[in-house]
Amino acid sequence: MTLILNNLPPLHWALAGLGVAGVTLALLLIGNRRLGISTGFEDVCSLVLPAPYFRRLAVVSGRPWRLPLLCGLVLGGFLSAVLGGGWKPTWALGMFDTAIGLGPAGKLAWMFVAGLFIGFGTRLAGGCTSGHGIFGLANLERPSLITTITFMAAGIVTTQVVYRVIFPLTGQ
Amino acid sequence: MRAVYVVLGTIFGFILSRSGAADYDFIQGMFLFTNLQLYGIMGAAVLVGAPGIWLIKQRGRTLAGRKIEIELKPLHRGNITGGVLFGIGWSLAGMCPGPILVNIGEGKIYALAAFAGALAGAGVFGTVYQRLQRPFALPALKVGTGEG
Repeated sequence: MTLILNNLPPLHWALAGLGVAGVTLALLLIGNRRLGISTGFEDVCSLVLPAPYFRRLAVVSGRPWRLPLLCGLVLGGFLSAVLGGGWKPTWALGMFDTAIGLGPAGKLAWMFVAGLFIGFGTRLAGGCTSGHGIFGLANLERPSLITTITFMAAGIVTTQVVYRVIFPLTGQ
Repeated sequence: MRAVYVVLGTIFGFILSRSGAADYDFIQGMFLFTNLQLYGIMGAAVLVGAPGIWLIKQRGRTLAGRKIEIELKPLHRGNITGGVLFGIGWSLAGMCPGPILVNIGEGKIYALAAFAGALAGAGVFGTVYQRLQRPFALPALKVGTGEG
């Protein structure tokens, strides 16, 4: 199985896992920072929204390191494309195109709604795959175990319903 | 220091991009159990990260000598409800928060809509936080639901 991005072959899972652990540990050892991406959404919101929640010290004081980290993620994706066959804007979405097949406007609407779930859900849960799933589990935190089991289960149920019931894939 | 975080973010983004962690089909494959790549990545990251974090805590200092202080995430009812909502969103988008940004960098146009939705979702959450505090037993406003 290859990536949607230029049909590249994926890195070996063990190498990728080691790399993710390396970045997590470097953040802690260099900057005393706990890995977490979804709090960055709050940092971005805090640039424009006046609600007291976004004026908290935890949000405002995190901006100087978390916003550069978020910019790095965009840059990393860009470099990956440039160094791996070239960068070009695309609407390609793999099996979504095969089984669901919405056009550009439908994809934007679908992704916006999914984003609402992600933004609201991660902040209510207090973290996402990185903060709970990687750092929280590796630091043996119980709330992270509970949250990770919950979002994995919800993801499994949703995808099973979407691709085995509503838009069944042919030949599976 | 900001440059260090940009570099670490870039490495992280590159790995997410090339490993399948930011790929719609690999995410669906994980949830369908037809492709186990992502379980391997997360498992390896946690298995290597756990002793690493333990060792850094034993050392107690950053490279520059600052005290290591890890803020633990609070336990509350939002862990479950938020986890369910996030799981649904992760499945629908095929992206979790980091990969949304990675996909934008890769040139996937629809990822911009996921980013806009995520910011709107976080914005709504923060705006109604005080009304959610009691039903979800969320911590004081000053603490929030935790960094991460």
